Amino acid sequence: MALRRLALMAALLAAALHAGSRMRRLHEPRFPRLAELKVGPFAFQDAALAAAGLRAPAADLAWIELLQYSAGGMPELVDRPGHPYEHLATLSLRVTRLDPSMHRAVLFAAGILAWFRGVERPDEAAELLEEGMRRFPEQPLYALYLAAIAYQRRGEADRMIVLLESSFDRPETPSTMRTILANLRQSRGEYREALALWERIRSDERDRSEHARARIKIAELRTLLGSPPHDAQR
Amino acid sequence: MNAIRFQRVSKIYRRSHLGRTTETAGLLDLDLDIPRGEVFGLLGLNGSGKTTAIKLLMGLHLPTKGEVETLGRRAPDVAVLARIGYAPEAAYLNKTLTGRENLRLFAALSGIPSAERERRVSEMLEKVGLGKAMDMRLSEYSKGMLQRASLAQALVHGPELVILDEPVTGLDPLAIKEVRVLILWLKSKGKTVLFSSHDISEVERVCDRIGILSGGRLVKVMKQDEWRGKADALEAAFTAAVVRTDGVGPIRME
Amino acid sequence: MQTISAVFAYTLKEHVRHKAWLSSALFGLVLLGGSLIVSALGQDERARLMLDLGLAAIEVIALVGIVFLTVNLILQEVESRAIFLILTHPVRRADYLLGRFLGTVAAVALGMAGMALMHAAFLSLYGWWEPGRYAAALGCMLGKTAVMGALSLLLSIALTSEAAAMAFAVFLWTLGHFSSEMRFLADRSGSAFLKTAIVAFSHAAPDFARFNYRDFWHQTAPGGDWLAWTAVYALAYTAACLTLAVQLFEQKEF
Repeated sequence: MALRRLALMAALLAAALHAGSRMRRLHEPRFPRLAELKVGPFAFQDAALAAAGLRAPAADLAWIELLQYSAGGMPELVDRPGHPYEHLATLSLRVTRLDPSMHRAVLFAAGILAWFRGVERPDEAAELLEEGMRRFPEQPLYALYLAAIAYQRRGEADRMIVLLESSFDRPETPSTMRTILANLRQSRGEYREALALWERIRSDERDRSEHARARIKIAELRTLLGSPPHDAQR
Repeated sequence: MNAIRFQRVSKIYRRSHLGRTTETAGLLDLDLDIPRGEVFGLLGLNGSGKTTAIKLLMGLHLPTKGEVETLGRRAPDVAVLARIGYAPEAAYLNKTLTGRENLRLFAALSGIPSAERERRVSEMLEKVGLGKAMDMRLSEYSKGMLQRASLAQALVHGPELVILDEPVTGLDPLAIKEVRVLILWLKSKGKTVLFSSHDISEVERVCDRIGILSGGRLVKVMKQDEWRGKADALEAAFTAAVVRTDGVGPIRME
Repeated sequence: MQTISAVFAYTLKEHVRHKAWLSSALFGLVLLGGSLIVSALGQDERARLMLDLGLAAIEVIALVGIVFLTVNLILQEVESRAIFLILTHPVRRADYLLGRFLGTVAAVALGMAGMALMHAAFLSLYGWWEPGRYAAALGCMLGKTAVMGALSLLLSIALTSEAAAMAFAVFLWTLGHFSSEMRFLADRSGSAFLKTAIVAFSHAAPDFARFNYRDFWHQTAPGGDWLAWTAVYALAYTAACLTLAVQLFEQKEF
């Protein structure tokens, strides 16, 4: 009886191993090794969540922390004077190393680093995008942003803006990037185009967090264009 | 034909702690036959081997040496348990269930077909006096009610052999009388009853034979005619036969 | 089959009526609510956060629940001696163990289903509605829960100590998420012996990371054939653990 049962157990384990190898052959999740998760104050949190099998939630929490940092609310990471957003790239790499499919973190950080007024560190943004592309090549916006940075380096701002605006309505484009684009248009004196972009932001439910700012900007731009700001009051 | 047969059965308990193994004899060279239809009482002090003998019959323990047979089948035998009813010394029931659910469970485990189960369960609960409490949770039952629920599970499937481990311990005089009546009723139905007890007066009232266990050995077997009509004969035999093995001395208040 | 279903039914009732089950289900709902609140901080990724954190909350509660329940499943019945009455009925120990295990998994699955319903309702209110993928993620979580439960049950029977069984279960749970890391380490290792040992261990230990459909569906979601093999993996691994548990359980005396 014992031998029969042990034989059955061995057969079941063999079946499990076979099924496991078939699963591996059919699908291999692309999570970077744990050794690559090396972000100072968050190392323990990330390792603990990854060890508990919670890679995606770990990336989600890292994304929230990235947003907190970018809003200036993270006492562990304070920027040195004259170095705005100096930890942004590291924090977005942290997110993408936890879960490469969380591409919005890289796009968000790259957008700020490359095109945010007063930051403008396109080289850092490009490095970030390259790592993002290496880890998740099927995300087309990485290549698109890299191309836009290339135009920026060559001083071809028009082509850069047109290229970036081609991704304006893509679902993975961060709201922040959309506002950056609208601001870019405004900074070039293209108020009508800027107004159109802000109106698209205001009418999109996805950008709910930017609606208050959009209303102010629309009013401001209408004033600059000489038309009454009544529409913006709605 | 025998309902129960112990053939030179020994049970040695081995316990290991920190690399040291200690051995305790639960039962030593027990030879005992109990024919069908007999009411047999196992008498003995605490630790004398009564419960060990019962656990060997029920397949909860395996003998270290010798053979145990119940209803002609060598123990442990799962199938034969359908013909045996067992009530332990305390009602080890799952208290989250109601009286009815509890008995329904044991009826199902005993193999009573589902079509018959509800009727048998209700009837048995009525018989043991729990008719009005059958939908109460067992956690709300008193000790006496739990004992009745335990008896009900031992009898619901109409067993040929009933084994009762200390059935009157801790019961009030009225409940003790009811258990006595139950045992006599089982005897009248031709069932074999084996029960263990400390209570000599109860044993002598209902048993056809008794066996006295002491230190794991069967030291004496007596027939009813050896004590019937002879005042204190059983008590005297018991006192003479048993030896305390628990290290406790007698109470002397001179 | 009647035995398994009877044990299954009473186990399920026992768990569902236990305060701990209700408390953990309520705690799960609180955790779920918390994850919905946290997801509000996720801006563009709110739906993803709601989905990930909610499913993670369901899984954590389910895994903690299954480890706690299965580790205590047999040990508590032995301690309360309720097992005496079950096993003195015509119940094969394998059937008893299987019924207890399935009843426990069903109780946990019921809790998961309750939490998932609430979670899915919130997600659909927010505009996320992919019932197929959501069901696949839940199915994988249930597979993980079943494997973890079988493993904890085996540990509780092998070690007979709740604390030790729980500690080992948590250790294996963590280790089960490192299988691919272990194979990576083995690739890097210079010693052939170490390499073989690590690879063998990484294969023998359950690969829990494989069940994290909810973790990697954001990348490229695996297809139906992968899900079928996952079911085979979960069933075979669970059955292997249960077979060994039965083997050990049958040698136990109560």
